[in-house]
Amino acid sequence: MDIDKNMRILVVDDFATMRKVIKNLLRQSGYQNVTEAEDGVVALKELRSQKIDFVISDWNMPNMTGIELLKAVRADSELSSLPFLMVTAESLKDNVLEAVKAGVSNYIVKPFTAEVLNEKIEKIIENLGG
Amino acid sequence: MECDSLMKLIDGMASEFLFLETKEIDIPTAGKLLNNLDNLIKEADALKISQLKMVACGLSSLLGKIVLDSIEDKEAGFNILEKGIPLMQEIGDTFMNTGSYEGDINGFMGSLAALTGDSITKDATETEASQEESHPSEKAEVQDESLLRDFIIESLEYIDEIEVNTLSLEQEPENKDHINAIFRPFHSVKGVAAFLNLEQIRDVAHDLETLLDQARNDEISVTSQVIDIVLDGTDALKAMIIILKDDMEGRTPESLEIDISALRKRIKAVEQGTPDTEKTGKLGEILVEDGAITQESLEEGLKVARADPRKKIGEVLINEGKVSSKQVSRALRKQSKQAMDTATIRVDVKKLDDLIDMVGELVITQSMIRQNSIIQSISDRKLAKDVSQLSSITSELQKTSTSLRMVPIKQSFQRMSRLVRDLSKGAGKPIGVVMEGEDTDIDKNMVDEIYNPLVHMIRNAVDHGIESREERIKSGKPEKGLIQLKAYHRGGSIVIEVSDDGRGLNKDKILKKAIENGVINSSQGLSDQEIYKLIFHPGLSTAKEVTDISGRGVGMDVVKQAVEKLCGKIEINSVYGKGTNIMTFFPLTMAIIDGITVRVGKEKYIIPTGAIRQLLRPLQKSYNNVVGRGEMINVMGDLMPLVRLHKFFGIECEHENPWEAIIAVVEGEDRSKCVMVDEIIGEEEVVIKSLGEGLKDIKGVSSGAILGDGNVGLILDPEGLFELSEG
Repeated sequence: MDIDKNMRILVVDDFATMRKVIKNLLRQSGYQNVTEAEDGVVALKELRSQKIDFVISDWNMPNMTGIELLKAVRADSELSSLPFLMVTAESLKDNVLEAVKAGVSNYIVKPFTAEVLNEKIEKIIENLGG
Repeated sequence: MECDSLMKLIDGMASEFLFLETKEIDIPTAGKLLNNLDNLIKEADALKISQLKMVACGLSSLLGKIVLDSIEDKEAGFNILEKGIPLMQEIGDTFMNTGSYEGDINGFMGSLAALTGDSITKDATETEASQEESHPSEKAEVQDESLLRDFIIESLEYIDEIEVNTLSLEQEPENKDHINAIFRPFHSVKGVAAFLNLEQIRDVAHDLETLLDQARNDEISVTSQVIDIVLDGTDALKAMIIILKDDMEGRTPESLEIDISALRKRIKAVEQGTPDTEKTGKLGEILVEDGAITQESLEEGLKVARADPRKKIGEVLINEGKVSSKQVSRALRKQSKQAMDTATIRVDVKKLDDLIDMVGELVITQSMIRQNSIIQSISDRKLAKDVSQLSSITSELQKTSTSLRMVPIKQSFQRMSRLVRDLSKGAGKPIGVVMEGEDTDIDKNMVDEIYNPLVHMIRNAVDHGIESREERIKSGKPEKGLIQLKAYHRGGSIVIEVSDDGRGLNKDKILKKAIENGVINSSQGLSDQEIYKLIFHPGLSTAKEVTDISGRGVGMDVVKQAVEKLCGKIEINSVYGKGTNIMTFFPLTMAIIDGITVRVGKEKYIIPTGAIRQLLRPLQKSYNNVVGRGEMINVMGDLMPLVRLHKFFGIECEHENPWEAIIAVVEGEDRSKCVMVDEIIGEEEVVIKSLGEGLKDIKGVSSGAILGDGNVGLILDPEGLFELSEG
């Protein structure tokens, strides 16, 4: 499975340190091309103004939550097939199911390792190809 | 007809299934299937095909478990799905043709239940266990010093935010926005703490988050108990983070081990032991949602309802006939959202300081070039235009860059309102806080400097100002005391007012005490202002008893010192029995000062403009050498001591006789003196340069500055200078 490690990944989280954590984990797996957004509103603006190949978004954010962002992405004809990985906290099973129904590509539970993250990304890209 | 869409749904699922290459269901497919099943359940329900509904419900729950990874035998799960879809097709088909379905689905449902039911009990422990397992491997993987530092800074900011919002929540316990605003930062802190293996922080944040989640879902109501525990938990979090910070910066953490388990137990207790106000919360909320009443009137109603436990909130509201003023609360909510919307970027303060310093240098260099005699002698219109353009750009640049370091005073005020809350509980006096002008900007470097004086003023107000509950009732005041914090800009200063509606200052008592302690000799000729200012004398406390809050006589003089250190001013106004208002004036920034440049011999000094009362050349007859009191100048009837600058700084001066020199009447803390200089050069804004660690305790000089002509000048500190002249 060839994954373009240069794909542009958008990390969405309101907590700057969290964005950095995810960026570091991505870097460990070789993904260098990462951009950030602090909430759904900013993320959507980014998605519409530049080419983003992959979204990793937190759920809990002010202004526009992760699930609202996901729904907006899926409702936008330009973005509807964009790979979207949702980051959730443990024990929020209802959230996960809601995201799955809203068309999330996959989800990942905090805290996670670089390997798990990479695995999820690979799985999503793999499914896209298949 | 509806059967058509029903069959389409089932067929759609079947083909979705066909496309799967492996025996594994990926998330997007699962999502589509789940949505289809949801619709199918609805349709089957409408058509009353109970068997179809049962199968669909079973499959939906199975899929959910597959998605959540809580099924051990995934292949078995897949097989059941594979069987379930044709079964649904069969049920649907038969129903369409015959109007009913008589087949047996029990076998299928049994195997489904065997799979999902089995794992129901397991699933919770199972997933958590598997998560636990993955922890050890990640240890130190994301541990990285800069991450930790970011975490500390960001979390502390979040914690401040939590405090504020918790206090707002206390005012409006029904407001879900406030709960959310507290919930979210706890959640974020927890998330990152988990990554950084900060287990205690994660646990506490998690517990608080859970508690708030319950409040959000109306499982518990927001009582003062909840508020207390949230604040205590926040304090604990803060303490833990500060320990972390100290640790990282190589300091030995000063606080002791924090008892996390006790705190967590308390949180749990609050979660469980909920008083019966639950109902009021729900009723009130529905009323608000329906627009029947407003949040405000609900608030008031709730207050009444709480005061009298026999009354229900509904009763109270009906009795009072509350409606209207809906727009107000809506507008308020919008406003608070807008405040959060501003886009920001985080920059290291050091970088900002450097930038501001550099800009300061630029301004000076620019003015040096402009004042250069060669440049001034060139009469070229273009050059003159360019030079003036340059200076207007640099001054604009200076303004903008200083504004970068400006922050709203909100944060300081909010810390104060927390302080009032804690103090008022400690003193057993109910006290409310009203803030005004929280958006007033102040130099970030000033924030820390004004903290101590503010704390002392607040403590003083709580302890001495506001009377005890009984006393207040006796004098016909509202039971709850009020402390007002106000900030605004006036001239080049930021004014911070602290007022209370307490007993006010007792002039006679202050005078008596001051005379007793030998601070003054007699009360004659003292203005009210001057009398009030006596409370700034160390050792003069009018409180009858010493409490742990204040009253040891080290309060207000600290305020005065701190304010003066910052070149600020204090004014006190008080009406006996009505309250006290303390106004402090601080310069907007510590980077620039308005000064009068004076020359003594060859040296130039800067006297802060605010400290100069008068500039004059005295007559010879105004000069007296009074025995025992030294040289004095008569300035409009007042005899003031003469201070010869050149004596203290060991330099030559031009004029030995005061009537040939110039006198600057300079104000110190409580006295004015005549400072003798040779020449007044002019007024200018100078950028304050610290003299460095080695020279910081020089008396009479506060700092240095580079003057417009490129020379270095020292900025005089009047009070220090006076002390020098007296010592």
